[in-house]
Amino acid sequence: MFDFILNKYNYWIYIVLMMIGFYAMIGKKNLVKKIIGMNIFQTAIILFFVSTASKKSATLPIIEHSHGHEEHAIQVASYLNPLPHVLMLTAIVVMVSTLGVALAILIKVYRRYNTLEEDEILQFKK
Amino acid sequence: MKILILFTVIVTGMILIYGTQDMPDWGDPNSPASTHVSPRYIKKTMDETATPNAVTSVLADYRGYDTLGETTVIFTAGVSCILILRVRKKRKKNS
Amino acid sequence: MISQSPVLIIIIPLMFAFITLIFGWWKKNLCYPIVLIALFLSFLASLNTLNTVIASGTIHYRLGGWSPPWGIEYVVDYLNAFVLVIISFVALTVGVYSKRSVEQELPEKIVFFYVMFLLQVTGLLGIVITGDAFNLYVFLEIASLAGYALITIGEDGAPFASFNYVIFGTIGACFYLLGVGYLYIVTGSLNMADLSNILPGLYGSKVVLVAFAFFLVGISIKMALFPLHVWLPDAYTYAPSSVSALLAPLMTKVGAYILIRIMYTVFKPYFAIEMLPIASILTWMAVAAILYGAAMALAQVDLKRMLVYILVSEVGYITLGVGLGNRVALTGAILHILNDAFMMLSLFLIVGAIMYKYGTRNISQLRHIHKKMPFTMAVFVLSGLSVIGIPPTCGFFSKWYLILGAIKANGWVFVAVLLISSLLNAILFFRVIENTYLEPKGELEHDSESFSEVVTIDEVPSSMLVPILVTGAGILILGVMSGKIISAIIQYAVPAYF
Repeated sequence: MFDFILNKYNYWIYIVLMMIGFYAMIGKKNLVKKIIGMNIFQTAIILFFVSTASKKSATLPIIEHSHGHEEHAIQVASYLNPLPHVLMLTAIVVMVSTLGVALAILIKVYRRYNTLEEDEILQFKK
Repeated sequence: MKILILFTVIVTGMILIYGTQDMPDWGDPNSPASTHVSPRYIKKTMDETATPNAVTSVLADYRGYDTLGETTVIFTAGVSCILILRVRKKRKKNS
Repeated sequence: MISQSPVLIIIIPLMFAFITLIFGWWKKNLCYPIVLIALFLSFLASLNTLNTVIASGTIHYRLGGWSPPWGIEYVVDYLNAFVLVIISFVALTVGVYSKRSVEQELPEKIVFFYVMFLLQVTGLLGIVITGDAFNLYVFLEIASLAGYALITIGEDGAPFASFNYVIFGTIGACFYLLGVGYLYIVTGSLNMADLSNILPGLYGSKVVLVAFAFFLVGISIKMALFPLHVWLPDAYTYAPSSVSALLAPLMTKVGAYILIRIMYTVFKPYFAIEMLPIASILTWMAVAAILYGAAMALAQVDLKRMLVYILVSEVGYITLGVGLGNRVALTGAILHILNDAFMMLSLFLIVGAIMYKYGTRNISQLRHIHKKMPFTMAVFVLSGLSVIGIPPTCGFFSKWYLILGAIKANGWVFVAVLLISSLLNAILFFRVIENTYLEPKGELEHDSESFSEVVTIDEVPSSMLVPILVTGAGILILGVMSGKIISAIIQYAVPAYF
């Protein structure tokens, strides 16, 4: 049982973090808190993915000794998996772009309604 | 309403944790993710791309099209911000 | 050059977006011709791709020359090529239409609007053509970001509606990414064809099950399937006219395309139909969507908002076809992607034209506009008949296939729901037609104009009228040619399992 938790606790921590962000995104009434929740949610997904790239006692996927034409046998199990890192680089960029556009929309909402609370804006519209 | 949202969040979390039961252990070198596609990236990165950094070679060579999409995302976000925020002041005509 | 046409479809709008920005800063009037050239070339490339697929089968285009699953691959089969032609045609039509409408509604933002327009079209085309699951996420985000910005610049109430769309859309895209991640952890591959080969051995795994659930919820948010449609009405109503005309026919249909790909290509059809009752859950959500959309549309006084609720209902039709799980229903669903794109396109173009001329969308204020805008209202009546489902318009044929599919699956409830919704749509459209065509009783103010001067035809400018007429003609032509379209294209687009 303890072994089971020890092997999988990386996934569970990030899932808890995701759910904190998800709750803030849909449960809070202040628009800025929603955006912060969105950021936490997406960051937790990125961390979740990156944690799947690790291997026990492996090093960064940078092949060191191969300047020149010597053919050392490259042991795959001693280098980390590079693919999730690459995917998450793109996901980080997407996250930052969405954050920027969301904040720009927020500025426009503030200019119009002079408040950032969802309740007050809905009252305004009625 | 808050209880409904809390319930939704907890159910989503439970489903996600339920899904992790069959996942490979943390740091397993024999997991499917580490043995199917990525060994070629690590083994052949010096031969095929002359780049010792495997992350760079995947990002810019094997999956370079995703990088093009990523730069388009940045461009889209930049133009979006200008489109949303820019207010041209109306010039008052002197009459 | 011709053999590179799959990638040209995406690259041309993308490169021309940069070119539009540079030339637009120098001279504003150059934007419109550049955009038209880009969309026209993209349309030609997509037609060429469809021809190649019909002539020689599925196209496999490797980006960068790397073979899948180590590189990204474009797989263009019949379903892909079909949706690509629809997207590029709708984009071209709205591009021609948009000039006058944008000049009136957004006078100081023309250059950036057109850049965003091309980027949105790039995103939508990129989602449809790709054969790699993570590449789909990247282009989905391009399309979503462009959509958020385009909706925000609309009328009063648009920024808040767009903010809601940001929150919902990000949840949808992140759930999709979680699904891709779970599948990657347990298979190691991101390529759709490779996944469909590896996954059947893993169908009993809990990871695959949870991944499928997250895919469905994420795609349903993007597709605006009831009850996750709540971002749709406000966002599309307050957007500018050209933006609604671009997004309403396309974004939800692209979502439906992603649903068909995930359910029937990445996961084999028997997973969703026989192993788990997911297809039947989808059909019940679809029934709720159809009835809810029609009922809410009856309560609206704003013409555009009524059309958006009809759109919610139309998404229900397509999902019903996907979920019923037999060949006839899936044929109806794919045909409905085409027909609904045209119907929604013409309806939203017409509402934009009315907004351009009169500045109001309130149904009760649109008395007698058929005298001043006869061609536009004629196309409106034609589109209304198509939504109701009257032959020979195209809407009849897709509804016919859906009803046949429901009968074949022994779902008599679905047949009843389809017929009731046709009746509700008829009530909706006759309410609008009565307000605009027929003389209401007891109106004294019309006596003065009934015998005096002839009311002059005061139509919208021809750059807006020609797209409306072309779309109206398209509704009739597509209806008449439905059989040919099905036998030439859709028959091969349905997966071989059915």
